[in-house]
Amino acid sequence: MFDFIISKYNYWFYIILMMIGFYAMIGKRNLVKKIIGMNIFQTAIILFYVSIACKKGAATLPILEHAHGHGEHAIEVSSYLNPLPHVLMLTAIVVMVATLGVALAIVIKIYRRYGTLEEDEIIEAMR
Amino acid sequence: MRILSIIVVIITGMALAYGTLDMPDWGDPDSPANTHVSPYYILNTLKDTATPNMVTSLLADYRGYDTFGETTVIFSAGMACILLLRRKRKK
Amino acid sequence: MIDQLPVFIIVIPLIFAFITPLLGWWKEKLCYPWVLLSLSLSTLCSVFVLNRVINTGTIHYYLGSWTPPWGIEYVIDHLNALMLVIISVTALLVAIYSKKSLEQEIPGKIVYFYTIFLLQVVGFLGIVITGDMFNLYVFLEITSLTGYALIAVGEDGAPLASFRYIIMGTVGACFYLLAVGYLYIATGSLNIADLARLLPNIYSSKVILVAFAFFFVGIAIKMALFPLHVWLPDAYTRAPSAASALIAPLMTKVSVYVMIRIMFTVFKPSFTIDMLPIADIMVWLGIFAIIAGAVMALAQTDFKRMLCYIVIAEIGYMVGGTGLANSIAIKGVILHILNDAIMTLGLFTVAGIVSYQLRGHKLSDFKDLFKKMPFTMAAFVVTALSIIGVPPTCGFFSKWYLIQGAVTVHCWAFVAALLFSSLVNIILFFRIFEIGYGFHEPGEVHVHGGEKAFIMEAPMTMLIPTIITALCIILIGIYNQLIITNIIRFAVPEL
Repeated sequence: MFDFIISKYNYWFYIILMMIGFYAMIGKRNLVKKIIGMNIFQTAIILFYVSIACKKGAATLPILEHAHGHGEHAIEVSSYLNPLPHVLMLTAIVVMVATLGVALAIVIKIYRRYGTLEEDEIIEAMR
Repeated sequence: MRILSIIVVIITGMALAYGTLDMPDWGDPDSPANTHVSPYYILNTLKDTATPNMVTSLLADYRGYDTFGETTVIFSAGMACILLLRRKRKK
Repeated sequence: MIDQLPVFIIVIPLIFAFITPLLGWWKEKLCYPWVLLSLSLSTLCSVFVLNRVINTGTIHYYLGSWTPPWGIEYVIDHLNALMLVIISVTALLVAIYSKKSLEQEIPGKIVYFYTIFLLQVVGFLGIVITGDMFNLYVFLEITSLTGYALIAVGEDGAPLASFRYIIMGTVGACFYLLAVGYLYIATGSLNIADLARLLPNIYSSKVILVAFAFFFVGIAIKMALFPLHVWLPDAYTRAPSAASALIAPLMTKVSVYVMIRIMFTVFKPSFTIDMLPIADIMVWLGIFAIIAGAVMALAQTDFKRMLCYIVIAEIGYMVGGTGLANSIAIKGVILHILNDAIMTLGLFTVAGIVSYQLRGHKLSDFKDLFKKMPFTMAAFVVTALSIIGVPPTCGFFSKWYLIQGAVTVHCWAFVAALLFSSLVNIILFFRIFEIGYGFHEPGEVHVHGGEKAFIMEAPMTMLIPTIITALCIILIGIYNQLIITNIIRFAVPEL
């Protein structure tokens, strides 16, 4: 039983973090709090992917050392981390930042027009 | 509204946690993710791309198209910010 | 050169989009022909690709010559090629149409609008052409980001509508990314063909089940399936006319395409139809969407908002048809993707013309419009007949296939919902015809004597795409058998 929890507890941490972000996105009324929730949700997904790449044991970063020049050393697959999730997450981080930028630009536009950032006040002002 | 959000969040969380029951353990070197496609990248990065950094060779060579899409995302976000925020100066 | 055609479809609008801001700094008037040039080239390339796929079968194009699953590939089969043609032709028509309406609605920002317009078309084309799951996510995000920006420059309530779309759209895209992550943990691969090979061994795993559920919910948010449709009416109503004419026909249909890909190519029908009760759930969701869309459309006083609820009902047709899971129904669904894109384009272009001439899009603005804008209203009548489902317009044929498919599996509730929706559409559109012909208040016609003979037809650049769309509706209806035997028959998955 404890074996089960110890081997998979990282996934549950990330799920709790994702759910905190998700609740902030849909449950809060303030627009900036929703954006912060969006950020937390996407960061938790990035952590989840990066944790796939981990290998227990003597695994190190996915960079070959002493590669150029003196002779070819045999490359041992299990001594390097899996590079693919890191690459996918580099792209996902960039997408996250771009969405954050566009969302904040829209929030600035809303603020210039209505003067407030609470969703119910804005809906009142629109009637 | 708050109660509905909390219910949705709890249901989503439990669905995700239910999915983790069958997942490989943290750090397992024999999981499918670590044995199917990525050994090719680790073994052949020097031969195919002459780059010791595997993440770079993946980003720029094997999956360079994803990086192309990523730069398009940044460009469109920049253009979107100009479109939304630029104000004409009244002369 | 012919071998590189699939890449040209994406790369040409992209390079042109990068050059458009520079061109705008130099001479603003050149942006409009530049956009038209790039979309025409892309349309030509996609028509050639469709021709090649019909003659020689599925095209596999390896990007950078890295073989899959270690590199990214394009897979173009009949369904993809049809979607490519739909997207590029729709984008070209909207680009021709957009000139006058943009000058009126957002003066001074036209250059950046056209840049983001081209980038959104690149996003749509990239989603349908790729054969890699993570690449699909990247292009889905390009589409979404540009969509948020295009909607937010609209009329008064547009930024808030766009912000709500951001929140819901990001939830959908993140669910999609989570599901790709779950699939990657279980199989180690991201390529669609490779996943289709590896997944049948692990269909009973909980990871795969949760991954499929999150795919479905994420795509349902993007598709505006009832009850996750709340972002659609506000966003499409407040957007500028050119933006809603581009996004409304394409965004939801491309999401239906992604759903068909995931349900039938990544997860084979032996999983989705036999092992899960998803087919029944989809039919009931489709029925609810049709009824909810029809009922809410009746209650609207704003023309564009009414069109949005009609779009929600049409998505119900497609989801319910996919849930019926027999080959006639899927033929109807794919034909309906084509028809609905053209019909929605027709409706939203008419709404844009009305909004351009009358500065508003309420139903009461339609008074006496049939005399003032005869050609526009003729196109509108053709489109309305197609949505109701009158032969020989194309809407009749796709409804006919869907009803046939429902009768084959004895799903009478779906047949009843389709007929109910046709009935409600008749009421909706004939109400507009009544107001437009001025039958309601016969006394008032003589009051404004001088205005009666005043024809204020739409400008040529806005009128021609509308008329071309109406002609396409009739032509696709007449030639639908040709389209089905040559293209759609091969796109239907084996069930």
